[in-house]
Amino acid sequence: MAPAEHPPIEHPPVRLSHVTLVYDGGVRALDDVSLEVARGERVCVLGANGSGKSTLASVICGLLAPDEGAVELAGERVCADGRPDLEAYRRARRSLGLVFQNPDDQIVTSVVEDDVAFGPENLGLPREEIAARVARELRRVAMEGYAGADPARLSGGQRQRVCIAGALAMEPAVLVLDEPGSLLDVRGRAAILRVMGRLAAAGTTLVHVTHFMEEALEADRVLVMDHGRIVLEGTPGEVFSHGPELSGLGLEVPFAARLSERLGLPWTCDEQDVVRKLGTCFFSQAERDRPAAAAAQMPTDRPGLSRSACEKKHVPNLRVEHASFSYGRGTRALDDISFEVPAGSSTAVIGQTGSGKSTLLRLLCGLERPDEGRVVVDGHDTSSRRGRRAAKRSVGYVMQHPERQLFAETVEKDVAFGPQNLKLPAAEVERRVSRALETVGLADRRKDSPFTLSGGQRRLCALAGILAMGPRILVLDEPAAGLDPRGRAMLRRVLARLSKQGITLVQVTHSMEDAARADRVVALDQSRLVAIGTPREVFSRGNERRLREGGLGIPRSLRVARELEDHGWPPLGDPLTTDELVAVIRARAERAKVPVPFAREGKC
Amino acid sequence: MLRITVGQYYAAPSPIHRLDARVKLVCALAALVAIFCVSNAAQLGIAVAFVAATLLLSRVPAGRVLASVRPLLVFLAVLSLFNLFFVRTGDVVATLGPVSITSGGVAAAALYTARFALALVTGSLIMLTTTPTQLSDAFDRMLSPLSRVGLPGHEIAMVFSLMMRFVPTLADEASAIIDAQSLRGGAFDEGGPVQRVRSIVPVVVALLASGLRHADGLSRALDARCYEGGEGRTHLHEQRLGRRELVAGLLTAALLVALVLLA
Repeated sequence: MAPAEHPPIEHPPVRLSHVTLVYDGGVRALDDVSLEVARGERVCVLGANGSGKSTLASVICGLLAPDEGAVELAGERVCADGRPDLEAYRRARRSLGLVFQNPDDQIVTSVVEDDVAFGPENLGLPREEIAARVARELRRVAMEGYAGADPARLSGGQRQRVCIAGALAMEPAVLVLDEPGSLLDVRGRAAILRVMGRLAAAGTTLVHVTHFMEEALEADRVLVMDHGRIVLEGTPGEVFSHGPELSGLGLEVPFAARLSERLGLPWTCDEQDVVRKLGTCFFSQAERDRPAAAAAQMPTDRPGLSRSACEKKHVPNLRVEHASFSYGRGTRALDDISFEVPAGSSTAVIGQTGSGKSTLLRLLCGLERPDEGRVVVDGHDTSSRRGRRAAKRSVGYVMQHPERQLFAETVEKDVAFGPQNLKLPAAEVERRVSRALETVGLADRRKDSPFTLSGGQRRLCALAGILAMGPRILVLDEPAAGLDPRGRAMLRRVLARLSKQGITLVQVTHSMEDAARADRVVALDQSRLVAIGTPREVFSRGNERRLREGGLGIPRSLRVARELEDHGWPPLGDPLTTDELVAVIRARAERAKVPVPFAREGKC
Repeated sequence: MLRITVGQYYAAPSPIHRLDARVKLVCALAALVAIFCVSNAAQLGIAVAFVAATLLLSRVPAGRVLASVRPLLVFLAVLSLFNLFFVRTGDVVATLGPVSITSGGVAAAALYTARFALALVTGSLIMLTTTPTQLSDAFDRMLSPLSRVGLPGHEIAMVFSLMMRFVPTLADEASAIIDAQSLRGGAFDEGGPVQRVRSIVPVVVALLASGLRHADGLSRALDARCYEGGEGRTHLHEQRLGRRELVAGLLTAALLVALVLLA
């Protein structure tokens, strides 16, 4: 046991050489991967779904043995020439920690401190030692006040921190985090990143697998995987300078890097850096050239501002009037909410976890009736049973992780479930299934089992099952949660297509960028409506403080524009998307005749 | 939404919480048997006093206990009505058409209802004051003789503990899936038995798939945390038999003796 706990200094905690792993069915999940992780290093592994990054995580924490190659973990030669040494694996695992996506699957008891103690108990440590470690690790993840709590009552982010404490309590030589934030909201993810920063500073060796590029910026080294191979490797700066290659791999470059590239600025991953560079160059010019700056302050042309959808059609097909709702006798989940959704428009509902967003959606699709006030869906008041039944017919409800409702042997059978329940003739069922699969782009997979699809495709398949019901209104609860960039892009295209077909969209989202693309935004905080209107109105300067109090931000482009204005730029007219921001910066710079590189037309 | 209240632990600093789970289980079992043997008012008084004292000592609010037994109150009501109307001993107290209520019926209804209520409170107090870990550790220790004859005593306890942990998760998922499928026109409360069974398939299959996913994740987590069965495991909460356990045992014995003397 001793060598496992104190491996000699010269051994790196992880060393893989020429590792290949093939799953049943011939999928090469890892293909000739060689990797060494040094003590105290923070390595980030990036890759789209199916790139092999999760398999790599399992190999590094000793849960999967490769078919070829050699593996050394925590100073143990666990695998040589594809022959695993099971005893060595057992010893090595005692010094390896793992935290993965779903905190629910990792918590084994119903009391926080017992769960953190579970690992050390399995290691056979003395009681006093376990107690000391539990207290220490709960403090480290800022959960010391919850030792006696029931994990089921904690938020997803808090539960994931309990899982991290549980792994740390085993004092691992390496901590592997496999997409720890992919099922969490923005706040939960930020808390996990803070904990990781603290761990890295304390010298813990970290291997972090993620598809959020922004999370990789703090790493010492970034690996990018594709088809089981490491295709890019280097510091975050080096890796993210390969923008086009990364998009080709189904990943996206951090916002600041994308912006600096499109403006022709020296490459950077740091948003503040972009603001500083733009800010100083305009400011010094503006000082010399006041009249030009004044000219630039003229009323602005707003690129991409056509919000035609909501002006064209005024007929509301969803109306919420002073609606309140509570589950049982507790506090109110919704308190006096009123708004209208015009037919054919798209509405984004934003708010923190627990602000009442999901409850609002349940009211809109007639799953719950308001305690007070009214919800009118397509002309049907949901306070009556008949009204709710009618509402259920006109609204398609896409719950969180809708792929969990898939059940049939083939994609087409699953999509046909709804229309068949409507007792439609076979020809009509067939027509609807084909049309729905066409819309989501799965027409060529209709004979496959839904369980063989990728994560993003599974979600689209579930969406097709709801579209086949022929809803006029589609209500979606965080439709992009847990998808990789490629899946998110796929979903965004499908939703745009539906909007064009005239379907009314209401979606809960955590992404302010997605909200900025909607016609209207509804912002909730603590069960109440805090702001409503077009994205431009909701994200206006006057609302900024209120949104911040509700734990909400503003779109990144707008944030950069505001900071530039604070640095002396003339008003930039609230750009909501990167395209708008780039266009308006160029226009201003040209008008003010600022001789800077970003003024040139180019890689746009 | 389905609400599962069974097995919810209520944290409080009380002697009942700190009591060794094995002793707590044995004492509760003895008390339960005793309660079901209660047959006269004096015995009932003693039993009520015993349960009430335990409740007070445990510092669990009575509301919490009530909430956890609420699903069974309907059953309790039916039981007492049954006794009221169908026990035909003693004098007739009241007559309502063809139904007559006898004094024996009233007594039986009161006794059965009280006994059953006491048993419910005792059972729910066990769950409210004992964490699933303590329970499974206690089972583990009590079942350890089984391991000696080759039966998986520890594993049974572990499975029990994991079941307690995953029931609420699966219940939440089941209610989400039922909502989703019923919005796609799945009818779960219409038609004959065959149709009903068929209509439940979309829910059951989806739930099974979800259960398998959880099982997959759980096995990964158990491996990563070096769970290899009961051997070599230590426990954060030491199970020790001390003065508190002795007192609890003596008090329970006193209850039994008192009930026997009053019989």
